[in-house]
Amino acid sequence: MSLSRRNFIKGVIAGGAAASSAAYLFRGAGSLFGQTSAPGSVERLLSLTVNGQTRRVDVLKQETLAMTLRYKLGLTGTKIGCDRAECGACTVLIDDVPHYSCSVLTHTVRGRRIVTIEGLEGPGGVLHPVQQAVVDEQGFQCAFCLPGFVMAAVGALKTNPNPTREELAHAVSGNLCRCQDYDKILTSLLRGAEYMRRTT
Amino acid sequence: MAGTLVGRNYTPPDLVAKVTGRAKYAEDFRAEGMLFTKLLLSPMPHARVRDIDTSAALSLPGVRAILTAYDLPDLDGQERALTNEPRYAGEPILAVAAVDELTAADAVERIQVDLEPLPFVTNALDTLRPGGPNPRLDGNVWGPPPPPREGAPPAAPPFETLKWTTEDFAEEAQGRLPMGKPAEEWSYGDLEGGFAASALVLDETFVVQSTGHHPMETRSAMAYWRNGKLFIHASTQSVAQTRGNIARWVGIAPEDVILICEYTGGGFGSKGGGAVSMSIPALLARKANAPVMMRITREDESYIGRARTNMTGRVKIGFAKDGRITALDFFIVQDTGAYGPLGDHRSAGNAASLIYQPPAMRWRAVNVATNTPPRSQQRSPGPMQGNGIIEPVMTKAAKQLGLDQVAIRRINSPEGKAPFGPVLPSGRRNHVTSAFVKEALDRGAALFDWEERKARAGKRQGSKVRGVGVAVGPHGAGSIGYDSIMTIRPDGRLYVQSGAGNLGTHSMIDLARVAAEILDVPWEKVEVVWGDTGKHLPWTCLSVGSQTTHAMTRANHAGAMDARRKLQEIAARDLGGSPEDYTVGRERVYRRDAPSRGLTYVQAARRAIELGGRYDGHDLPGDINPMTRASATALAGLGLMGVAKDNYGRDGVTYSFVIGFAEVEVDIETGSVRVVDYLGIGDVGTVVNPRSLLAQIKGGSCLGIAHALFQKSVVEPRYGVSLTDRFHYSKPLTILDVPRQMQADALDLPDPETPVGARGVGEPPVGAAYGAVMSAIADAVGEDVFRRAPVTSDIILMSLEHGRRMHEPLRMHV
Amino acid sequence: MAVIRDVMPAFELFQPTSVEAAQAVLDRYGAGAWVLAGGLDSLDWLKDRIRRPQAVVDLGAIAELKGIRERDGGLEIGAMTTLTEVVRHPGVRERYAILLEAAEAAASPQIRNQATIGGNVSQDARCWYYRAGWPCYRAGGNICYADTPDAINREHAILGADRCVAVNPSDTAPALIVLDAQMVIRTAGGGERVVSAEDYFVGPGIDITRMTVLEPGALLTAIRLPRTWAGAQFYFEKIRDRQVWDFALVSVASAMTTSGSTIERIRIAVNGVAARPLRLRAVEAVAEGRPRNEATAVVAANLAVEGAQPLGFNAYKVPLMRNLVKRAIRGVEAAAWTS
Repeated sequence: MSLSRRNFIKGVIAGGAAASSAAYLFRGAGSLFGQTSAPGSVERLLSLTVNGQTRRVDVLKQETLAMTLRYKLGLTGTKIGCDRAECGACTVLIDDVPHYSCSVLTHTVRGRRIVTIEGLEGPGGVLHPVQQAVVDEQGFQCAFCLPGFVMAAVGALKTNPNPTREELAHAVSGNLCRCQDYDKILTSLLRGAEYMRRTT
Repeated sequence: MAGTLVGRNYTPPDLVAKVTGRAKYAEDFRAEGMLFTKLLLSPMPHARVRDIDTSAALSLPGVRAILTAYDLPDLDGQERALTNEPRYAGEPILAVAAVDELTAADAVERIQVDLEPLPFVTNALDTLRPGGPNPRLDGNVWGPPPPPREGAPPAAPPFETLKWTTEDFAEEAQGRLPMGKPAEEWSYGDLEGGFAASALVLDETFVVQSTGHHPMETRSAMAYWRNGKLFIHASTQSVAQTRGNIARWVGIAPEDVILICEYTGGGFGSKGGGAVSMSIPALLARKANAPVMMRITREDESYIGRARTNMTGRVKIGFAKDGRITALDFFIVQDTGAYGPLGDHRSAGNAASLIYQPPAMRWRAVNVATNTPPRSQQRSPGPMQGNGIIEPVMTKAAKQLGLDQVAIRRINSPEGKAPFGPVLPSGRRNHVTSAFVKEALDRGAALFDWEERKARAGKRQGSKVRGVGVAVGPHGAGSIGYDSIMTIRPDGRLYVQSGAGNLGTHSMIDLARVAAEILDVPWEKVEVVWGDTGKHLPWTCLSVGSQTTHAMTRANHAGAMDARRKLQEIAARDLGGSPEDYTVGRERVYRRDAPSRGLTYVQAARRAIELGGRYDGHDLPGDINPMTRASATALAGLGLMGVAKDNYGRDGVTYSFVIGFAEVEVDIETGSVRVVDYLGIGDVGTVVNPRSLLAQIKGGSCLGIAHALFQKSVVEPRYGVSLTDRFHYSKPLTILDVPRQMQADALDLPDPETPVGARGVGEPPVGAAYGAVMSAIADAVGEDVFRRAPVTSDIILMSLEHGRRMHEPLRMHV
Repeated sequence: MAVIRDVMPAFELFQPTSVEAAQAVLDRYGAGAWVLAGGLDSLDWLKDRIRRPQAVVDLGAIAELKGIRERDGGLEIGAMTTLTEVVRHPGVRERYAILLEAAEAAASPQIRNQATIGGNVSQDARCWYYRAGWPCYRAGGNICYADTPDAINREHAILGADRCVAVNPSDTAPALIVLDAQMVIRTAGGGERVVSAEDYFVGPGIDITRMTVLEPGALLTAIRLPRTWAGAQFYFEKIRDRQVWDFALVSVASAMTTSGSTIERIRIAVNGVAARPLRLRAVEAVAEGRPRNEATAVVAANLAVEGAQPLGFNAYKVPLMRNLVKRAIRGVEAAAWTS
């Protein structure tokens, strides 16, 4: 557009003149239409293993895992809260490790195991112990941050199944809640850890 | 009212969907052929659109439609979703719909917008200076609202130009808020006499920051049209009251809007009646003849997503030796951003007169517009800012008078039907329905081990020093006059229609607990119907301002009593006797003197349908809202209908109170503050849902703590653009910034002016925590270390380093 | 502002499995190439549509860049090793605990699970004017927006500013400097060059558009921790607003050996005060040979902030840096409240 902030700021510096003549260059390498591959670059079609199922997906080079999960695979339980690794709503497990799926290029997780909130339930819709604990303790309010918190906790419990309240708080500290009863969130996730120890 | 349901914890019916990811928020919906839109935002804080050249964008393959302000209905000068005169940097000018976001974004960059820069101002005081720039072509301040006229909707206040004199600004250099001609004022009592009779007078200026609401879910929306009707998936705090707003924003009739919002990812006041931006996908979908998804990014949200008004306040308070306030003089300059008006400043004045009960008080204010992102009510709008301005002064007064912080609040606290606010045209002042603040202070002081903690306050260990603080957070806590619809159906279940937004506070489900309690229906046989105006919802309060629990328990009490009466009438009609001979229980209506004689609810529901008329909703009360009437009509014939408007009397205005108790530890070598412990005590009426209520107190407290410690908004003063467009700049609270365990409790004393006894709770904890944490910091490091919030480490360290306050008190947006 | 955010423009993506292959792509695309490590810094720029590379080279598939190995009695950390792997490594914990502390203070758990140590030390400045795409000196323009009378510059530099007043945001950098870490670089020509951590970072006076010595086409491949400071007495502290995500307002790191109460050898470095992390050589010189006590700490700390030139809103960094240096020398007395 003709009036990017850059030009506006230059305009202010130049004494408030309207800086509408300098065009903002369109430098994009192209949109979805006709995105081609240079020799040696990755193939768009790839196999993704999500929640135990391997699926073939056509993924743009610049596509993030959050976008692929939500828009290509219909797994909308993974939320995008900030798209900038600053809120944790998009947290998923990649090879059992919590990651912000908004900040992972889908092409970098080829061949790795991805688990989303939809993949936690057991056969017959049996809730995962952490999910059950969140229900029992009514851990969250608006719950937009819930899938991310639960995935972060499930991931953390794989390396530390018996965390203290302090340790678990640190483990889920990369997740933001704006309703902000962090106290109850932590209580519910600790209960989840307890349920997990009981079931294993 | 407490019983088997009210006052007990339960598992809300929406939780399993939430924990499995099946709960669908607005952006989780998809539609066949769905397009995506991206917004072009103004780079300038104030400008006029001279020309828009979209040719290069429209020639891009995949671009389907472009929406500009010319496509939007006129809203009588109120904010629209797109504009030709952007009044803040980040205001949307146009929207592009394309086959994917990437194409839409690329198209936006190809659009040439010719903007003529206009004068702008980012600091409220700067526009009041002699010759200061105006934020809008038609002025800079909102005048007083015209007096309400009988039967007419409240009129908008006038927008005017107000400039102060150079002499008015003389005190600015000393860091004291200049007090020129106010735009609004009221007073009562003998102010000068009060000050003359006082033992101590404090006169302090304080800057309360603005903060973005930033609910986790941005205001994304998806819309499509079918058979002339608009279907819109959006995020709102009120399903019932958003439909009409969308209709107005889009320019169609309310009955042509079907709004679906079963889950709302937070709002905190920013999505009260929806968001004006919802009209963008709606109108684009019509223009492009395809569904349109508008994913609002976090950066978009930081501009269009609303923010709290910032206030610079100056308060002069006279105290008697025992701490009793003798006079209070309060002056507020409020920044309402690019649009408005807002009433936070008035609420702050009313709240101050309520929680400190000054025998004489004057309130003056200027409600200023600036070229900064638009404000709206944010969780405790007004009273919270007032807490920030005044509570540290109360703490300072306690220190100077040698009094305890709790004691000085207790001696000034409201009791019973305490008066507040200005003298009304009737010659009387308003009063609250009830207040048990003294009881809450006493309960909190005991639970918090106040005396023990106080004993170690101010003492140093290494570089650490501790402090304790307390504050009284008040807020209006309930409206009246809304409607309810419920049906007992032949399947034996009680269906309760709920038009509230589902913010996860569960007040929109709690209201059905009241109905089930009165009708004695087991909870597992209750269906709450919510989240979709196509499901026939009653006229419901906005889920803002801590209204819902109060307003909707009343309405559903009325509706349940109506259903109860109809059950009794049907039983009397079929089984003889008068309705009063019957009572309800265990899903039956039966004779009091012969419990075996009665009808099951299943039988009664069938009979109601056979009888028709008022029993099954074919004949409706005359006083219900047209929306309720239409919904009840659609549900007529499905079972025995309870439908009623809340006509219960109420003597007074409903307010709730939360008392915050905080202990902090300040590292005087780094200025870092750690909240060691926190307790919130609610005087919030009968507890309907204990677990959710305590969550409200703790969650609201955390928002207040964030405001005390670091949350902020920053607008670049020279260029007029927001700098806090990322979370690591605006700093919402993380789990490691609060104590690992927080405490909350409630008095559970019923409000006498509402049948269920419940008042709202969402707002008052915010100001309580804000005030308590800042009081605790003052207690630890000195009352004069800071005069602005957030009280970040730099403020503390610099003041301690230099032995005096080092920040410019009146500077906005730091 | 008016620039569209959060929709990354298209680029070519390469996932080479060797350093050589990666450098071949970098060579092919020249200024149009972008190196992707953990991606936390990179995706910011790309989503903001401010940087628009033609080709992104993901280093994630290059095995030789990953993992922590014993080397010459010290450790060699592959540049693509995540911060979490650094934090969990027993060798780091036992001998170089200060690096553990520094890495653990970075960002958030999920970010540490993905962000690499190479990326952490090579990340770009976080000045909010620069990151928003304003055409400042660092972005190739001819003004610093953060250094004007009205500018909001609470987070900016107090030392060593040269046109640009941005600070280095790395948490691990000061720890690596005091550990005398050696940065192993594969130059564009394919040669290996080793520079000390202290010299890895450059200020605006050297090159205003870069944070490190890495020339275009060059890659940081590993970080070597010599045995010099293994098991020394360490001090690390990061002061920030929020306890998660936020960058340091000021951070300090020190490594020390003592003989009795006398400081034998000391290394001390700070970050968040200048465009590069600063090793405080003069402070080290003053402290060595003196008793480890308050008096030494005060003398050294006062020396540390000499020449500081605060901007409008960051004068607090002077006492903050001074006090942190003091603590890094004499330590802190733990508070022991009875509650």
